[in-house]
Amino acid sequence: MARVGVFVCFCGANIADFVDVPAVVEEAKRIREVKFAIDYKYMCSDPGQQQIRDAIVQHRLTSIVVAACSPRMHEKTFRKALSDAGMNPYLLEVANIREHSSWVHQKDKKAATAKAADLVRMAVAKSIANEQLHEISVPVTKRALVIGGGIAGIQAALDIADARIPVVLVEKSPSIGGKMAQLDETFPTLDCSQCILTPKMVDVASHPYIELIPYAEVLELDGFVGNYKAKIKKKASYVNFKTCTGCGACWQKCPVKVPNEYNMGIDKRKAIYTPFPQAVPNKPVIDARYCTMLTKGKCGICSKVCEKGSIDYKMQDEIIEREIGAVVVATGYDLWDPKPYEEYGVGRFKDIITSLEFERMVSANGPTNGVPVRPSDGKVPKNVVFIKCIGSRDEAKGIEYCSKICCMYTTKHTILLHHKVHGSHSYVFYMDIRAAGKGYEEFVKKAQVDTGATYLRGRVSKIYKKGDKLMVRGEDAQIGQVVEVEADLVVLATAVVPNKDNPDLARLLGVSYDKYGYMSEAHPKLRPVETAKAGIFLAGCTQAPKDIPDTVAQASACAAKVCGIFAGDTMKKDPMISTVNKEFCSGCQNCVTVCPYGAIVTEEVPMGHGSKEMRTVAKINEGVCQGCGSCVAVCRSMAISLAGFTDPQIINEIVSI
Amino acid sequence: MDYTNQIREIASKLFAEGKIDVFVGYRMTGFDENQVPALIRDPNEVSKLVFTDKSVFNLTNYLKQDHTRNKRIGMVVKGCDSRALNLLLTESQVKRENLHIVGIPCKGVVDENGNKMQNCIECIFPNPVVFDEMVDGTPTGSEAPPYQVNTDIQNIAAMDLVERRAYFEEVFESCIRCNACRHSCPMCYCAKCCIDQETSTLYHGANTTSSAFHALMTWSLHLAGRCVDCRNCEKACPSHLPLHLLHKWNEQVIYENFQEHLAGVHEGDRGAFYKYSMKDPDDFIM
Ligand SMILES: Cc1cc2nc3c(=O)[nH]c(=O)nc-3n(C[C@H](O)[C@H](O)[C@H](O)COP(=O)(O)OP(=O)(O)OC[C@H]3O[C@@H](n4cnc5c(N)ncnc54)[C@H](O)[C@@H]3O)c2cc1C
Ligand code: SF4
Ligand code: SF4
Ligand code: SF4
Ligand code: SF4
Ligand code: SF4
Repeated sequence: MARVGVFVCFCGANIADFVDVPAVVEEAKRIREVKFAIDYKYMCSDPGQQQIRDAIVQHRLTSIVVAACSPRMHEKTFRKALSDAGMNPYLLEVANIREHSSWVHQKDKKAATAKAADLVRMAVAKSIANEQLHEISVPVTKRALVIGGGIAGIQAALDIADARIPVVLVEKSPSIGGKMAQLDETFPTLDCSQCILTPKMVDVASHPYIELIPYAEVLELDGFVGNYKAKIKKKASYVNFKTCTGCGACWQKCPVKVPNEYNMGIDKRKAIYTPFPQAVPNKPVIDARYCTMLTKGKCGICSKVCEKGSIDYKMQDEIIEREIGAVVVATGYDLWDPKPYEEYGVGRFKDIITSLEFERMVSANGPTNGVPVRPSDGKVPKNVVFIKCIGSRDEAKGIEYCSKICCMYTTKHTILLHHKVHGSHSYVFYMDIRAAGKGYEEFVKKAQVDTGATYLRGRVSKIYKKGDKLMVRGEDAQIGQVVEVEADLVVLATAVVPNKDNPDLARLLGVSYDKYGYMSEAHPKLRPVETAKAGIFLAGCTQAPKDIPDTVAQASACAAKVCGIFAGDTMKKDPMISTVNKEFCSGCQNCVTVCPYGAIVTEEVPMGHGSKEMRTVAKINEGVCQGCGSCVAVCRSMAISLAGFTDPQIINEIVSI
Repeated sequence: MDYTNQIREIASKLFAEGKIDVFVGYRMTGFDENQVPALIRDPNEVSKLVFTDKSVFNLTNYLKQDHTRNKRIGMVVKGCDSRALNLLLTESQVKRENLHIVGIPCKGVVDENGNKMQNCIECIFPNPVVFDEMVDGTPTGSEAPPYQVNTDIQNIAAMDLVERRAYFEEVFESCIRCNACRHSCPMCYCAKCCIDQETSTLYHGANTTSSAFHALMTWSLHLAGRCVDCRNCEKACPSHLPLHLLHKWNEQVIYENFQEHLAGVHEGDRGAFYKYSMKDPDDFIM
C-alpha cells in the first residue's frame, strides 16, 4: 500500500497570499494514500528539506509530493533530499502551485486554493505509480570538434586544448582567422586586429592538442553527447601540405588572376593562393574553379616551379572520421547584400562601397596600402558619407533586428579616415547611436570631438550623381529639414546576416535555428551558449551578431561547458527517457521520423519466438533520447513508454480529478 | 465493369512466370450474388477469380496478416485500395519488391442493393496511384472530380462542440465494441490496440455509450490523415454504423488545415500528424 507524504510550501507570501495553504494540507490529508501532510514557510530551505527527510523515515513513506514552485526551480533540490533520506529520488512529484496557481489566479483565492488542491491530488495519484529510476551513465570520448576558425573558433579551441583536451578544428576556407583577419584596427581600443589575432592563429597551428583541418567541411554528425562520430570532408587542395614549405614560388608564377575575396574583390589573387600573408596554415591551395590545368589540362606552371614537388593535380577530396564528445559551432556571419537599395544607386555608382570594403582599403595590408580610394577614378576621397543601418532595422528591405556592431565600427571608420586622409571629413547618417559596452560611449564621444564628423540623424532617401560626385539626399530629423551632402565616397554599413551554411549545418547537427538563420541557443538568458541538443555549443556570430569581445567571451564559455562534459570518464544522464516494447512495435517508424534528436533507429527481431523470419522494430538510443515524449505521442501501437510519464502515471493523474 | 477474364489471365501469367506465391483477388460467395476475398495459391484455381462492380472489399487488409507477410503477392487494387497500399509501404508494413500490383481503373462499386456506393460517387482517385500493371493495359482513366465536402459533413461542421458531441454519441450509441471495424481496416495493424477492452490502458472497463464513443473517436483519430475512405469498416460493422462520418469529418478538417493533405496519395507522405511543416497551423495553441 502506497504511503504518500505531502509537503505544501508558502513560498513566503508568493503562494500563501493567494492560496489557502493550510486548507490545501487538509484536502491532501483526506486522500486515502496520504499518510503525512504538512505546510512550511520555505520548503526549499534546509529546515524545510529536513522535514521531508525526517518524515520519510518516521512515516515509512513510499513517495513524496512537494507542492511549491515550478519543478524547473527546485526539483533537483527535493530529489536530493529524498536520496539523502535513502529514498529513490524519482519517487518525488512536484505540484506547481505557484506558477500554475497562486501567480495566475491572484484575484480569486478560493478558486486558486481549489486548483492547488487539485494539482496536489493529481501529483499524489501520479506519484503512486512512480517507479524507482536510476541515472544512466554513458562513456565519453574526450575530444572536441570546433567548426569554424574565426576568432570564436580559435578562442574556443585554444581554451579547450589548454585544458589538455584534444580538439579538432575544421575550417572551411584555406586559412583560419575569419572576418577578424580582414579588419584594420578594432574598436573600442583601436589595437591592430592582425597584431592581436595572428599570435592566436599561430598558437592554434602549434598546439599539441589541436588538430587543425583547414579547407574542410563537416558532412555528418551521428551519435549523442560524449559519443559523436563526425565525418569530415577535406577538400582537395592539390598541394601536399606535408612537403610544401609555403615559399610562394607557385603563386608568384601562376598566370591566372581572379578577384581576391580577402580584399573584397578590390584586387586580384592567383588561382593558386594563400588568402593573406599571415594565413595559418601558410600553405597554398589551388582554386579548382579557375586553375586552367584542372579545368582545361593546360598550364602546369606551379608544378614546374615547385622545388618540393608538392603540387598534385590528381588529388581527390578525402573523407575522414573522428570520434568526438562535444561540438562548438563557430561558423560566424555574412554581410547583407545592399542590392535592394536601388534608390541609392547601389550597383550603378562605383563609389558606393560597403564597410568591409572600406575596412580593407584602410588596412595596412590591404589592396590600396592603407589609403581609401574611389573605385571610379582611384582618387583619394575627402568627403565621405557613412550610412548606417543598411538592411538592419529595416523590415521592408532587410531584416528587423539591429546588427549591433555597425554603430561602433562606423565610428571607428570616421577615426581611421581622419587619421589616413588629411583634410577629410566624415558625414554619418544614423537612426540611433547604440554604444552600450565597456568604453563604447566614451569611444564614440571622443571620436566625434576628435574627428569633427558631422552626424545627421535621419534616413537617406536618394543618392544621385553630379559630375564626379555623389549627392546624398537625406533628412536631418534634428532640424526637420532635407539636407544634401556632396560626397566623394559613400560607405554603407551593411547588416550582419547569418552564415548561409547555417540551415544545412543545423540540420546536419540536429540543432535548431531561428527565423533568420542564426543557430538557436537553448535559453536566451540562462543557457545562452548551449543548443537544445546536449553537447553542442555556440560561439560567436553564428548565434547572433556580436563584436569581438562578446565573441571571445562566448567562446571561452563554450570551452568551460565542454570541459565540464569531459570532467569524468562517464556522463550521468537523466533516466527519464523512452523505451520501445518490441513486442508491441509494429515497425511503422513514425517515431523515427518524428524524433527531433535522431535518437531512434530500427533493428531486426525474429517474427515470433524461435522464428527465422525477421521483422523491423524501433530502437531508442538511451544516450541520445532527451525524453521529449514526441515518439510516445505518435506511436499508435502504444509501444513506447517514457520513464517518469508512463501511461499508468498519466491515467492516475487524469482519473484523480 | 467486368475484368474477370483479364484478372484470370494476369494471375495465370504471374504463376507461370514464378513471380508470386499467392494471388489475392475476389471470388463469388458460392451462395449469392456477392463476392468475398480469395487467396489463390494453386495456379489451377485462378478460374475462381472474378472482378465486377461487386468487388467491394479493400484487399490490402491481407497485406498485414502474418500468413502473407514476406510472401510474394499478386493483388488487385482499385483507386482507394492503392492509396491504402501507398501508406502501408510508407509505414514499412510491406516490402514493395514482394508485391505485384494489378490496378483497376475503377468505375465505382455497388452496395447490396446494387446502388453505387457513396464514397465511389465522391471518389477523386478512381485510378490507382501505385501499380505494376493496369488490368486493361492503360494507366489513365477518366478525369477525377475535385475534392468536395458532402452535405453530411457540412452539417457536422455547422454544429458547435456540444451539439457535435451529442450527435456523434447518439449516432454511435449502438456500437457493441466488437472491433470488427478496426480488424477490417487495412491501416490498423498494431499488435496492441488502444481500443481493445482487454489490453488497453485507456479504454478498458464497461461497455457504456460514452466508452464506445470514446473508443471509436480515438480509433478514428488513429486514422485521421490515413483513412482512404474504402469503407471496409462500414461493411464489416454488424450494427451498420455510419463510421465514415467520423473519418470524413477528420479528413476534411485535415484537408483544410494541413495543406490539402489526403491520405496515401504520395508514397513517403506519412500524413498530417506524423510530419512537421512550417505551414502547419498553430492558431489552436494558446
Ligand atoms: C566592417 C566590420 C568591422 C568590424 N570591426 C570590428 C571592430 O573594430 N571590433 C570588434 O570587436 N568587432 C568588429 N567587427 C565584428 C567582428 O568581425 C566579429 O565580431 C567577429 O569576426 C566574429 O567572429 P566569428 O568567429 O564569430 O565569425 P567569423 O569571423 O565570421 O568566422 C567564422 C569562420 O568560420 C568559417 N566557416 C563558416 N562556415 C563554415 C563551415 N560550414 N564549416 C567550417 N568553417 C566555416 C569561416 O570561414 C570563418 O573562418 C567588425 C565587423 C565588420 C563587418
Ligand atoms: S511509432 Fe510505435 S509502432 Fe511505430 S515504429 Fe515507433 S515504436 Fe514501433
Ligand atoms: S522521447 Fe523524444 S528524444 Fe526520446 S526517443 Fe522519443 S522523440 Fe526521441
Ligand atoms: S486503432 Fe490505433 S492502436 Fe488500434 S490498431 Fe488501429 S492504429 Fe493501431
Ligand atoms: S477507416 Fe474504414 S474507410 Fe477508412 S481506411 Fe479504414 S476501413 Fe477504410
Ligand atoms: S464494427 Fe461497429 S459495432 Fe463493432 S466496434 Fe466497430 S463500430 Fe462498433
